[in-house]
Amino acid sequence: MISEGTSAAIVRGIDRLNERVGRVISWLSLFLVLTTFSVAVLRYGFELGWIWLQEIYVWMHGTIIMVAAAYTLLHDGHVRVDIFYRSASVRVKAWVDLIGTVVLLIPMLCVIARVSWPYVALSWSRLEESPEAGGMYGLYLFKSTILVFCALMALQAIACVGRNAFILMDRSAPDIAPDRSQGAV
Amino acid sequence: MPLNEILSIIMLLSICVAMMAGFPVAFTLGGMAVIFSFIGWSLGAFDMIFFHAIPSRFFGIMSNEVLVAVPLFVFMGVMLERSRIAEDLLTTMGQCFGRVRGGLAISVTLVGMLLAASTGIVGATVVTMGLLSLPTMMRAGYDPKLACGTICASGTLGQIIPPSIALVILGDALVGAYNQAQLAKGNYLIEPFSVIDLFAGAMLPGLMLVGLFILWLVVIAFFKPKVAPAYYEEGVKASDLIVRIAKALLPPSFLVVAVLGSILGGLATPTEAAAFGGVGAILLAAVKRQLNFSVMQGVVRSTTRISAMVFAILIGASLFSLTFRGLGGDKMVHEFLANLPGGFTGAMVVVMLIMFLLGFVLDFIEIVFIVVPLVAPALFLADISPVWLGVMMAMNLQTSFLTPPFGWALFYIRGVAPDEIRTADIYRGVIPFVAIQLISLGVLWTNPWLAEWLPRMLL
Repeated sequence: MISEGTSAAIVRGIDRLNERVGRVISWLSLFLVLTTFSVAVLRYGFELGWIWLQEIYVWMHGTIIMVAAAYTLLHDGHVRVDIFYRSASVRVKAWVDLIGTVVLLIPMLCVIARVSWPYVALSWSRLEESPEAGGMYGLYLFKSTILVFCALMALQAIACVGRNAFILMDRSAPDIAPDRSQGAV
Repeated sequence: MPLNEILSIIMLLSICVAMMAGFPVAFTLGGMAVIFSFIGWSLGAFDMIFFHAIPSRFFGIMSNEVLVAVPLFVFMGVMLERSRIAEDLLTTMGQCFGRVRGGLAISVTLVGMLLAASTGIVGATVVTMGLLSLPTMMRAGYDPKLACGTICASGTLGQIIPPSIALVILGDALVGAYNQAQLAKGNYLIEPFSVIDLFAGAMLPGLMLVGLFILWLVVIAFFKPKVAPAYYEEGVKASDLIVRIAKALLPPSFLVVAVLGSILGGLATPTEAAAFGGVGAILLAAVKRQLNFSVMQGVVRSTTRISAMVFAILIGASLFSLTFRGLGGDKMVHEFLANLPGGFTGAMVVVMLIMFLLGFVLDFIEIVFIVVPLVAPALFLADISPVWLGVMMAMNLQTSFLTPPFGWALFYIRGVAPDEIRTADIYRGVIPFVAIQLISLGVLWTNPWLAEWLPRMLL
């Protein structure tokens, strides 16, 4: 059994990791706007266009949504039906999140990781490139974000279990991410 | 009833229960799909081969070019909001039209229409407009019922007026279902249908709603001046006002019109136009001297979280639909809809009713991701236009978000309204607008040309 101090440290460590990852990746959404804009300008203004250029912004977007899912979970940004949840007590909320994470989220991630592993491995073994003529290199890296999604989400799920267990044991929960209270919207 | 159908029904019920408990929708869908696939597999009713489609499904979501428009529009909306452009728009319009009876309410409706693009997600518009205009309307002496009703109704316009994020998502889902249905019918000469068509199709019905809202406000202000009085802000001179209106109103209106115009005019794809919108919003913020590091940081973080949230639901919903199909649930739904009395009309009534009820608990995105792939192929067996179906669905959901006692918009306005305004007032205030919505829905049902005309003209 891991000691209380160690588990609190683990929760904090995971929170910090996903917070950093999220903060860095969020700037990619500014680059997404600028890149898509530039691609459109090149195409309409100068009649220049390359397949790989279009793939760049599509891949950027794919990377953002896969990598930032755990950051969003950290900030409680995933939509809930909160008709009952909103007015529930702290303990009830902790139970819902604890059970949901263990019974629903973690098994889901395990299945995704299990079936995606061979898919990504195959892509790596061929160092797969974009199937389009003139497309981007490194499709295997882009496909790997599915596994990054699984890994970061699984870590955040563990942190979620830990934090809610602390709440249910009436211990003060490890401090949550700095601007967590601001929510997603 | 065969085992697999029983399992599909139990799965649907379990998802409802888990979602009502408040666990995030995306993971409830995905997790329940996994649990029921294992149960089905152990009972011999599910073939694990279906799961091998998961990675390529995900890859399809990650590399979908049309859906890149979602984060771009979110970025544009959050930028307009954080740089207080939306706020200025609302206050200036209020000062401008407030001098006329009912003018304040009309300007709220117009701003709701203009901001539609940026705030089609969740209740952001209702909250923003509630915070900004409810106090002004109350100070002006508006009847709280009318004030709340107007704000809720205008806030939901964002779902149907293009370029709304909701329509991008709905359009993308319908395109897939439509093509699938045409191939199933053996019709290989598919009439092209895209998100752009849905934008064009939603234009007239959306404007019709705006027109009817305004007509209602004019009528009520004329017959009951007390509920919607004129309002003069002290210390505002008419000459100043013109300059302020030009400053506050023109840039964002130009931005929205340019984005929408370039899409409908066939100049740019929705994704490209959304990128123009994003850059335009940055420029507007810069011109207003509202652009600095902390604003930009806030905008990119919000954009990232909202986008990740939307796509997590898409991931969960794709797991759900794989399992549901593996269990034969989609066949069951298909047969159920096909065997309803009244043929297509019967099926359409049931689908609309189900979506309306789902609108009480779920947001637009979830409903589209879950319901459309299930029901649309069956509906497309009849010869109906995908544009019309899309606009019907959008308007139906929008009505649902407004309808007491569970409509989302009502919860959001309750959250920002002062305690003196009773919940019953909010409910009563919104009823005329719900009636307008229902009438419009009926008109659109019987006059599909309202949705089909503009896309055809633009072809």
